[in-house]
Amino acid sequence: MMDLTEAKMTDSDDMAQSSGRPLIWMIMSTLGIVMAAGAIAGYMAEHSAQGGGPLGTPGIIALTVFGAMIAGLAYLVWFNGKKLKQSGGALTNREKLNRNIMLGCGISGGAIGMFLAFYDVIIVGSEPSALAVLSDSPIAPAIAILLAFFWAVIIPIVAWFWHKRVIDEQEASAYRDGGYYSAYAYLIGAPTWWILWRGGFAPEPDGPVIFLLFSLSWSAIWFWKKYN
Amino acid sequence: MKNQLKVLRAMRDWSQAELGERLDVSRQAVNAIETGKYDPSLPLAFKIARLFGRPIEEIFDDGSNGGKNDGQ
Repeated sequence: MMDLTEAKMTDSDDMAQSSGRPLIWMIMSTLGIVMAAGAIAGYMAEHSAQGGGPLGTPGIIALTVFGAMIAGLAYLVWFNGKKLKQSGGALTNREKLNRNIMLGCGISGGAIGMFLAFYDVIIVGSEPSALAVLSDSPIAPAIAILLAFFWAVIIPIVAWFWHKRVIDEQEASAYRDGGYYSAYAYLIGAPTWWILWRGGFAPEPDGPVIFLLFSLSWSAIWFWKKYN
Repeated sequence: MKNQLKVLRAMRDWSQAELGERLDVSRQAVNAIETGKYDPSLPLAFKIARLFGRPIEEIFDDGSNGGKNDGQ
């Protein structure tokens, strides 16, 4: 039997460049693009509210800066997308399916978020805000039913498929850790906020904000545990 | 938990992705096991042992044998 120390190490394909890094850059850059686009939309809405007309020098500078930010971030998305695609050759079939499902969910979620944000600003007439997606303004019943169907029916099916057929035990463990820590953060954080509000020390607890923080915490811990 | 997975994989000249395909796990999982960041379940540990034709305790070292398997 060959002794283990006799093995020649061939690690050229190893995970020195984790696929998590380009992925996180793509996600952060996309979020940056959405925020910069929101800033431009907000600036233009404010400009229109003040009577419109040609933009002054400060306005042109501000829009140029935000435009340059969007271009730079778009380059980062493209560059990291290329790195991710290059590493795709070394991915197992299970990982490719996982990546495609994640991208599909991200694109769908982003599209719905953008739609809700623009609906709130354009149809409802709310002030442009980075948190427009969390607005509690009324929406058309048909849209509400469609989105509720997507969230309550489609998402569980995708989640079931993802858990049963796509992820492996290491990712399942990372996901469980994320849920475990986030559940404790929720169980401790939400009542604390509520009690502090009742004591007059904090603003009223906000359900969508708590939901968002819970989701972000779970996702961040899952990502960290999976790729670190 | 320390293990010899990286060495055993190198002996067969397999990439992490190739080993992942054989074990039906992701490349990320192989990497996490090799670097000791993730301890595989008992079924996966048995699968690894069968794949390399070695007993589990020769591949994985929980430290209770005084590092007997370290570098062999």
